[in-house]
Amino acid sequence: MHEFPVMPLGPFNIDISTTVAILVSVIVTFLIAKLAVRNLSVDNPSKMQNFLEWVVDFVQNFISSTMPANRVKPFVSLGMTLIMFIFVSNLLGLPFGIVTETHHVYENLGVTQELLDEKGGHVELAWWKSPTADISVTAGLALIVFVIVHFLGLRLNRKHYLKHYFHPFPVFLPVNIIETISKPVTLALRLFANIFAGEVLIATILMLGWYGTPFLAAWQGFSLFVGGIQAFLFTILTMVYISQSAIHDEEH
Amino acid sequence: MGWHWESTVIAMVAFGILYWLLSKYAFGPLFEVMEKRRQLVLEQMNTAESSRKAAEQQMEEQKAALQQARKEAYEIIEQSRTTSSKQAEEIVQTAKSEASRLKDDALKDIESEKNKAIAALRTEVGGISVKIASKIIEKQVDEKSQEQLVGQYLKEVGNK
Repeated sequence: MHEFPVMPLGPFNIDISTTVAILVSVIVTFLIAKLAVRNLSVDNPSKMQNFLEWVVDFVQNFISSTMPANRVKPFVSLGMTLIMFIFVSNLLGLPFGIVTETHHVYENLGVTQELLDEKGGHVELAWWKSPTADISVTAGLALIVFVIVHFLGLRLNRKHYLKHYFHPFPVFLPVNIIETISKPVTLALRLFANIFAGEVLIATILMLGWYGTPFLAAWQGFSLFVGGIQAFLFTILTMVYISQSAIHDEEH
Repeated sequence: MGWHWESTVIAMVAFGILYWLLSKYAFGPLFEVMEKRRQLVLEQMNTAESSRKAAEQQMEEQKAALQQARKEAYEIIEQSRTTSSKQAEEIVQTAKSEASRLKDDALKDIESEKNKAIAALRTEVGGISVKIASKIIEKQVDEKSQEQLVGQYLKEVGNK
């Protein structure tokens, strides 16, 4: 398997490919959104504006399926950012990869003598991937969601939020804590595993050489689908968690 | 592949910045426009509703006016019909009276003409008879008996 270039920068170890991928994803997402709102028009929207409005409607609809319709508005922006960023991130590693080979030690890229020895003096460095194929990144996203969920729970719905840890009996506190922790963990792992598996399989198919082309095409198409599904899942689960902790339904 | 907490921090910061950028430069204006469009549609629907109502009211008014006009026209026709029949009656009446008057006049004329003719005939006949008589008598009767005869004839004619 490929190694990823890791640059030691003072006390930090910066994963170059991940950092580049994150930056590219952010820029691409922002450019798409910015292009879509370039010539905003009330009565004669452009195609791109129509597309983005469709996304907004879509996000608004699935958010309102998780919480009462009058509470949806503040979360639309968050949902849009999440779904667009994750979707772009998921697709980023699909079209191509950049891999370099090295037989020498590059301490600045994390290619140490030990690694060279371990790999038999031949190290392949992958410079391009989906940021969401890195568990550090998905963990970051899940952590953001975790913070938002519990912050909103404490702020908007303190009484019921705190009470739910002792629900239905105080004995259930450990279970409830495990549930609370498992939510962001599954969120991060699900996204990472799906995208990472997709890229691993792409790398594997590439080993087939030219014979792999039809498989590669099929798998890339499927990865497109998986990327969309995972972006949607991440966003809707975020909204479900927010709804669970921050919005108290009168029915329960 | 490994865990790098630096990537986590970078991802979180990047996501935060992206959220802020998108909210400020993309979604904010977009939501505004969508809200504006919603308002516009609402407004237009209201306008359409009110104009529909106005049109309905006008339609109602038009119908009433039409009904009124129809009624008036009917009345006018009815009136004219009665007037015309009355006039016809009058005309016929006048014609009848005129005709009878003319007839009477004619009858009177005929009567007077007849009388005149009779009078004229009487004088004519008198003259002719006198002439005839005088021609016959010229040779036989003298002056005196002639006068007697004329007087007698005249008397007879006058009695007729």
